[in-house]
Amino acid sequence: MFPHAIKQLASSALAVALCTIAFSPAAWSHAVVTESSLTSHPVKPNHPTKVVLFFNSGVELALSRVFLVSKGDVFHPVEIANGKKAGEMLVDIPPLEPGDYALKYKVFAADGHFTENVIRFRVDKP
Amino acid sequence: MFIQGLANFIDDFLGGLMLISYALIVGSLIWAAWILRIWDSSAGKSAAPRPVIAICVRILKGGAITLAAMQGTKLLIKGMLLAATLGDFPIGAYLGTVQFIAGLLRLVLSCGFIYVATQLDASPHNRTAWNTAAALTVPLVISGAWLVHGVGRFEHREQLMAMTVIHQLAAAVWFGGVAQLLFLWHTRKAEQAAHEFWPLAITRFGWLGVASVLLLLSTGLPLAIEYIGSLNGLFGTGYGALVATKVALMGGALYFAYRNHKAGKEWKQFGASADLTRKVPYFIEAETFVLVGVLFVAATLSSQPPSVDIKETTATVSEVAYMFSPRLPKISSPTHEQLLAGEAGRVAVVDKVPSVAATEWSDYNHNISGIFLTGMCLVAMLSYTGRFRWTSYWPVGFIGLSIFLFFRSDAETWPLGPIGFWESTFGNGEVFQHRIATLLAFLLGVMELRARTRPDADRLRYMFPVLSAFGGILLLTHSHAEFELRSEYLIQSTHTAMGLLAVVVASGRWLELRLAGASESSSKTIAGFDEGHVAGFLSILAMFIIGNFLMFYREPLY
Repeated sequence: MFPHAIKQLASSALAVALCTIAFSPAAWSHAVVTESSLTSHPVKPNHPTKVVLFFNSGVELALSRVFLVSKGDVFHPVEIANGKKAGEMLVDIPPLEPGDYALKYKVFAADGHFTENVIRFRVDKP
Repeated sequence: MFIQGLANFIDDFLGGLMLISYALIVGSLIWAAWILRIWDSSAGKSAAPRPVIAICVRILKGGAITLAAMQGTKLLIKGMLLAATLGDFPIGAYLGTVQFIAGLLRLVLSCGFIYVATQLDASPHNRTAWNTAAALTVPLVISGAWLVHGVGRFEHREQLMAMTVIHQLAAAVWFGGVAQLLFLWHTRKAEQAAHEFWPLAITRFGWLGVASVLLLLSTGLPLAIEYIGSLNGLFGTGYGALVATKVALMGGALYFAYRNHKAGKEWKQFGASADLTRKVPYFIEAETFVLVGVLFVAATLSSQPPSVDIKETTATVSEVAYMFSPRLPKISSPTHEQLLAGEAGRVAVVDKVPSVAATEWSDYNHNISGIFLTGMCLVAMLSYTGRFRWTSYWPVGFIGLSIFLFFRSDAETWPLGPIGFWESTFGNGEVFQHRIATLLAFLLGVMELRARTRPDADRLRYMFPVLSAFGGILLLTHSHAEFELRSEYLIQSTHTAMGLLAVVVASGRWLELRLAGASESSSKTIAGFDEGHVAGFLSILAMFIIGNFLMFYREPLY
């Protein structure tokens, strides 16, 4: 049905497509936290802590924000960085008094979807 | 806040429109190759005449213009959403995202398609222009690989990306082909060539349609297994439920496709088929409704986390079944003061206290709406007996329903709450969708009332199925602001089921109206019922089931 030139063009395009997909840099879509270090390593009172959030996929760090929320819903922005593995995010938590807190994150996945969620945690007395 | 709510909603909606326009472009190219045989120099008499090719080019151009407009708007909206959510706009970081680059590439490619289609408009047989269009299609299809779930996976990433792209391609062939058939039919009165080509197009598309469905299934099944993983994942998460909805809708579309294919075969075998011109065009129109629903569901899927990633927050099948189980509707509501008293605790981040008053308020709203709708449907069903004239006034219930919704759907906003009308409407995506739903209910009531009671309201009749389809799409893309996955999903499960049924309402009523024009003999089914009436009754039945879901609705406490 197709002339030879078109067939050649189509097969070359298919090869290029497969190579492009196979060798492209990793980029990620819809991100949700599947696990966090808060479960295995609870935050100790009055100590700075590095919390690790494990996402099901990666996020665009420069377009994401994490806030520490304290009693009365007071929001403090916190520093974030990429972890060692893909999908890991490091969150710097300042020294905290015992009490109830939350991490509110707004992350931007590479497919353009924002995910907002809250992780609640407690800092127990020593 | 003002922009964020609106931007979020528009962003999801644009996703569906982009899939549709993508399908129009890609589908047109495949149509040109297999049905019109543009590249087949040996086609001779079986090649498509110039006016038929011109129809294909018009759809190609329309798809390209729409995709360019939607893609450009999406990039802009996404930027606005970023600025509104983050409080600042890191433009450099945004311009460097894969989302932006892939989107920009699609925008440029669609502009290329517009240029080529303009050339083809002037000269539909221009082989170079067709070759350029075919070449542009390749990167257009490939660029989709970076906008799907597969790109985010840590395992089988490349296979999933490739499989999703093939899945999208198959869907585009199906929807694009159906759109071509639709336009071909509507051009037949002005173009004799289109009229003559109609049976050939139906028979040729039959096999292409079968191939695209097989490709859809063979790629969709492994994707579903990879992303859903279990029965609870299928029925207990938003992702799974949307996949189930997609399958159900596809079943409906397949039924129409089968009827079209059958009529085509009949024509090929006997040289004539009454259904080919009396029913098939209307089945194709109904199929279009259903496929548009499928594409919007597909777009919504991309904003849901795959079921396998949220095992901890997946609802069980019995929890979902409980949401749909019959019970006595709630006919008393907490006072507005009781509701507002619990709001601060309900929306708090740290010291969150679920509000019983809020869930009871919501239950009451849904249950009373359900009573309205169920009552209306019972009257509408009675109208099919043809014995009681007053029953044709059943759509007046929609007007009452819209007034009820206006006052009750968002208690914290005007007219009952302290947040102003404009601020709440455009500052919160959920409130915005509720406002649209209220307006829709009102318009449905006014228009359908006129359509059912005034014999001269010919065109107005079609507004009901169109608005129902729009309402269905709204329900299928409906989102709640909180991100408590399990409770949110349980709410969403009822909305998704109602969205699916709204598509049935739309296509059933559409068929009823369209088949009313078919001749007496050809519109009978085997059982002796008029097919148009059966479709219309099914439409009312679907609305009745929606009414029941609403009447038994119970919001989980969260």
